[in-house]
Amino acid sequence: MYSDADIQSLIDRIKNPDDATSGAAWQSAGPYGAAAVKPLAALMGDGNFELARKGKRALYLVVRHAGRPGAGEECQAVERELILVLGSGPSRVRREVVWMLSEIGSAGAVEAMAALLADQELREDARCALTRLPSPGAVTALKAAFATAPEDFKYALAESLRQRGETVAGYPSRKLVPTKQTSVTPRQ
Amino acid sequence: MSHTQRVTRRTFLQRSALVAGAVTLAPSGVLGRASQPGANRRFVVAHIGVGGMGMTHLANMLRFQKDGKVRVAAICDADDNRLEAAVENAKTGGASVIPYRDYRYILERKDIDAVLIATPDHWHAVQTVHACESGKHVYVEKPASVTVREGQAMVAAARANKVAVQVGAQARTAKGGWYTCRAIRNGIVGKVRRVSCWHYATPADDKPVPDSPPPEGLDWDLWLGPLPWRPHNKRYQPGTFRWLLESGGGQIRDRGAHQFSTVLWCMNADQQTSFTVEAKGRAPSKGLWDCPIDMDVVYQFKDPDWTLEWGQPGNKVGQTEFGNVFWGDNGRLILEWEGGYKPANPEATNFKLPPGGQEVYRTDEYEDFNMNHKADWFKSIREGHLRPAVDIEIGHRTATLCNLGNLSYILGRKLTWDGVKQEVVGDEPANRLLSRPQRYPYVL
Repeated sequence: MYSDADIQSLIDRIKNPDDATSGAAWQSAGPYGAAAVKPLAALMGDGNFELARKGKRALYLVVRHAGRPGAGEECQAVERELILVLGSGPSRVRREVVWMLSEIGSAGAVEAMAALLADQELREDARCALTRLPSPGAVTALKAAFATAPEDFKYALAESLRQRGETVAGYPSRKLVPTKQTSVTPRQ
Repeated sequence: MSHTQRVTRRTFLQRSALVAGAVTLAPSGVLGRASQPGANRRFVVAHIGVGGMGMTHLANMLRFQKDGKVRVAAICDADDNRLEAAVENAKTGGASVIPYRDYRYILERKDIDAVLIATPDHWHAVQTVHACESGKHVYVEKPASVTVREGQAMVAAARANKVAVQVGAQARTAKGGWYTCRAIRNGIVGKVRRVSCWHYATPADDKPVPDSPPPEGLDWDLWLGPLPWRPHNKRYQPGTFRWLLESGGGQIRDRGAHQFSTVLWCMNADQQTSFTVEAKGRAPSKGLWDCPIDMDVVYQFKDPDWTLEWGQPGNKVGQTEFGNVFWGDNGRLILEWEGGYKPANPEATNFKLPPGGQEVYRTDEYEDFNMNHKADWFKSIREGHLRPAVDIEIGHRTATLCNLGNLSYILGRKLTWDGVKQEVVGDEPANRLLSRPQRYPYVL
């Protein structure tokens, strides 16, 4: 169990301008667990792109460490914190967090993840993340979103549902439909 | 080499089909397929992705065209700058091609028989599956895939659509690999219990830069394709996609896809699909690229028991910047590089097959091994067996080694891989990462 002081020390070391110190710090973040989720997510929103990147990588280490076999309660605690982060904050942070939840999330994460399906900026990441989530609740959420989604997003949701074994009427796959034009002309 | 020693792919497959372990390479019905329709037909081909390796493929196809074996009909790239250069290059080489930004225009064309895919790695599976579903034969760059599930989908698409998919790990049709393979299989160093690979480090992004708009002419959305959307950064491309886990996978997936392919071939281990894998690595302290700079990965195979080691830098036994060593009961045999660009060790080249020894398939239509690998692909189509030397199933199994090495690294734990069930034993979060949901509509 890490104290608030331990977590603050971790964050301070990640912010250290010396790459060796900073690099060693973020790479050690895995075992810090649930208590480190919010501070690291805050770091992910930092205006300094290198600090934001280090925060992201540190948080992925926390998630993957918590996901190890047999770490049930620790994993659930990290999941709960990630769900809280998903509710607010910059889109670029929530985009990563929804993918993190796709790796360790349970049925309890579905509602928060599904809420992003209505967010124009984040809906595609949320759709992907829910497609990966094994919980049957993810399918239910995708179905519910499909019923009310804008027409252009329904094709993607239909793809997810088919991947999860559901039958969807209409909205055939557009994967083979070309759309992009080049400005290069043929040479004769 | 005498005529009696030479083994054609067709003969090899027919013989192999008698061996239970080789059944998946040559399933019933394939060998008996109608006799080589269009054996003298000129293939109409198209290129998807014309960066570094893609331009090599184009040069090869222009040579095939001069030999009257193909017609180069189309070229595609998400970057108009590259596309323009390739179209000009084709014209100089005697080909009048239609340029495209979107590969799906190529797949719509009924006159095109086959495509050569040399896009960044995260595109390989999607484009291969789509090409197969459109009835095209495929030559796809290594590594075959960036996830295990992608590889499975590629194999399924090739089989369902009865097309040949050759993966561009050329050593299995190159002399260096061939000499090494027959020497190892026939006991030049006795029983091999360990193979170690050495390789120089993955580079670090020591001068990171902020995100920026994509350069003019590059379709960033199409370049990303299946990957989650994010702003452009100059460190993603060209070529440097290899140093990100999601799009390239570092040296172990780039060169490992070559070296592991050769090693599996030499060890006659294509059917040995279960193993444990444990990886450790040193992450870069900063920058966009996230592949480990140094890396040690150990794979343990059972029955027969042997160990495969990937080392960055590893134990550099040879003189060149990467290679591998077969450690046998009676000595060791070094293979510098991967059996393609460099010749075999003289011990292997001079090795005489013992009486009753096991010969190894070899195709030698062209001296240039890049040409030879493609000739082997065309041959598999002409002969109708559709199983080139690095058939997609072999490419998938090789990529699985690379992908699980990286998976063990990012998860920080040892994984036990069940090759029959194609899953990690007792590790549900690891199994989730065997696939990566793809951005619509760039989906399998």
